[in-house]
Amino acid sequence: MVGGGSGDAAPGETLVNRLAAFLLATSIVAVLFAPPLYAAWAALIAIVAAWILDPPALRAGLRVGAVLAIVFAASITAGVVAWAAGPQRGIETGGMVLLRLLVLTVGAAVLVRSVNAETLLRMTRKIGMERLGLVLGLALNSLPRLAEAAADVWTASRVRSDGAVARLRRLPGVGEVLLSHTARIAEEAAAAASLRGHSALTRPGNTLRSPVRVVVVTGPSNSGKTEVVTSVAGQLQSVGVDVVGFVQPGELLEGKKVGFRLRDLASGQEAPLASLSERDDGDFGTRFQFSDEGFRLGREALSRTAPESVVIIDELGPIELRGQGHMPAVRKALAVADLGGALIVVRRSLVPSLLAELDASDAVVIDVEDLGERSVDAIIDTLGI
Amino acid sequence: MKDARPWTYAALFGTLWGAIEATLGTAVHLGKLPLRGTIMGLAGLLCLVCLRRLQPRAGVCLLAGVVAVFLKVFTLGGLYPGPIIGIGIQALALEVALTGTGGRAIGAAIGGFVALATNPLQKLVTMWVVAGTEAVRSYLRLLQESAAAVGFEGLNPTVIVTTVATATGAVGAAGGLWAWWVAGRVMRRLGKHS
Repeated sequence: MVGGGSGDAAPGETLVNRLAAFLLATSIVAVLFAPPLYAAWAALIAIVAAWILDPPALRAGLRVGAVLAIVFAASITAGVVAWAAGPQRGIETGGMVLLRLLVLTVGAAVLVRSVNAETLLRMTRKIGMERLGLVLGLALNSLPRLAEAAADVWTASRVRSDGAVARLRRLPGVGEVLLSHTARIAEEAAAAASLRGHSALTRPGNTLRSPVRVVVVTGPSNSGKTEVVTSVAGQLQSVGVDVVGFVQPGELLEGKKVGFRLRDLASGQEAPLASLSERDDGDFGTRFQFSDEGFRLGREALSRTAPESVVIIDELGPIELRGQGHMPAVRKALAVADLGGALIVVRRSLVPSLLAELDASDAVVIDVEDLGERSVDAIIDTLGI
Repeated sequence: MKDARPWTYAALFGTLWGAIEATLGTAVHLGKLPLRGTIMGLAGLLCLVCLRRLQPRAGVCLLAGVVAVFLKVFTLGGLYPGPIIGIGIQALALEVALTGTGGRAIGAAIGGFVALATNPLQKLVTMWVVAGTEAVRSYLRLLQESAAAVGFEGLNPTVIVTTVATATGAVGAAGGLWAWWVAGRVMRRLGKHS
C-alpha cells in the first residue's frame, strides 16, 4: 500500500521504495514499543524513509500547525508526569510522546497519499476479500459527495436560523437531515451497483469523452438494430465518409441465438466473439463464452479512429458498462479530437445507463422499432452527414 | 445480482461516522474539550443505530466500524490508537447488543451503555501505548488528587474509574435511546415504516 504509486518506476526504484516502506512500518512499531534511545533512532529512520517514499507527504505531515499540536501534547504530558513523578521522568515521557506522535503523523501522511479505491480493491482481491475492498472504495469515493451534502445542510440551517443559539437548537434537525441524505446516497450507490455491477462502487464518475453528434440506436432483441447500423455504415462509406468500428451480428441455430461474430466495418474482416456455453459457465457472468480473437479485432477496428471519422459500435452491453470488454478501446476511440460522429447500439434497458456514462448532453436516441424503415435516414440526418 | 444495500448503507454510514471523527473528533481532541469522548461516542451511536434501523441485517454495524476506522487512520495523528480502539469497541458493542435483542430499542440502550462505559478504560490503554506506564500512574494519581479536592479522600483509583465508567455508561444508554428515536424520524423522512 505504501509506495503504491511506483507502478511506473524503474525496478531499482521500486526496490528502494519497498525497502523504505518496510523501514517506515518497522520504525512505527519500534517507536511505540522500544526504549527512548532506540525510539529516537527509529523516529529518525521513519522520517528518512518517508522522505524517500513521498517527500510531499512528509512536508504535508509535518506542517507547522501539526508540529505545534504535537509539541503542545508532549509538553502537557511532560508537565503532568513531572508533577507526579519528578522532572527527569517528565522529560523522558514528554520526549517519548513527541517521538511517537511525530512518527504516527508522518506514517499517516504517507498512507493517505498512497491509497485510492482501485489500490484497495486490488489489495483486498489478493486476500479474497473483494467485497470489503468495494465497500472501502465506495467510502473513499463518497466522501466528497457527503461533504457536499453536509455543506448544503449546514448552509440551509444557517439561512433559517437567526443567531448562534438558534443554530445550536437546530443542530439535532441538521443531524437528522444529514442522516437522511446519507441513506439516499447509499440507495443511489446500491442502484448503480445493481445496474452496472459492483465494480461501479469503486469507480468515480469517469464519463466517456464523446464527439458532438452521438446517436444511440436501440430497440428490442431481434428488431434489426445491426441491419440498420450496417446499412448506415454502407451509405456513409459510399459517399466517402471514413467509417470505423464494428458490428456484432448474431449467429442463430433453429431460431435461437447461439453466438456472435464481430465484423470490422472498415476492412470487412470477421472473427468469432462469443458462443453460447453449454454448461452455463459463461464469462463475465453471462451465458456466453467470449473469444480473445473477437475482442482483438474490435480493438483493431477502433484503433483506426481519426479526426472526421464516424465511429460505429454495435453494441455496448452490461459488460462494457461495467468498464470491461470493448470499453477501454471505446474510450480511446471517443477521445479522438474532432470526430465526425458516433453511433452506439444498446438494448433499451441500458439506454439510461449509457446516457449517464456519455459526456454528451445532446445525444439523440433512435428506437428502430418505432421508426422502422425510416431508421436509416433518421440516423444519417441526425449525424448531419 | 444480490441486493447491495446492506453493503452500501454500511459504507456510507461508516463514511459519515469516519468523517465526523476525522473533522469534529480531531477538533475536540486538539482543543482538549471536556467530555470529548462522550460527544464523539454519541455521534457514533447516532450513525450506528440509524444504520441498523434502516438496514436490519447482522454485521452492518461492524462493517461500518471497519469503514470508520479505515477513514480515521487517514487523519492527522490517525494512527493514534485511542479513537481507533473506541470506534472498534463501539461498533462491536452495538452489533452484539442489537443482534442479541433482535434489533430493539433496548439493544440500542445496552449497546450505548457498553460503548460509552469503556471510554475511560480505553483512555488508559491509549495512554499506556502512547506515553507508557509512568503516564498512566500519573493520571491515576491525578484522578485521586482531584477526587480528594472535592471531598472524596482516600478513594482507590479503581473505584474512581468504575464510577466514571458507570456515569458515562448511563449517558450512553440515554444516548442509545435518543439515537433510536432520531433513527425513527429519519425513517419516516425517507418514507420507510418504523
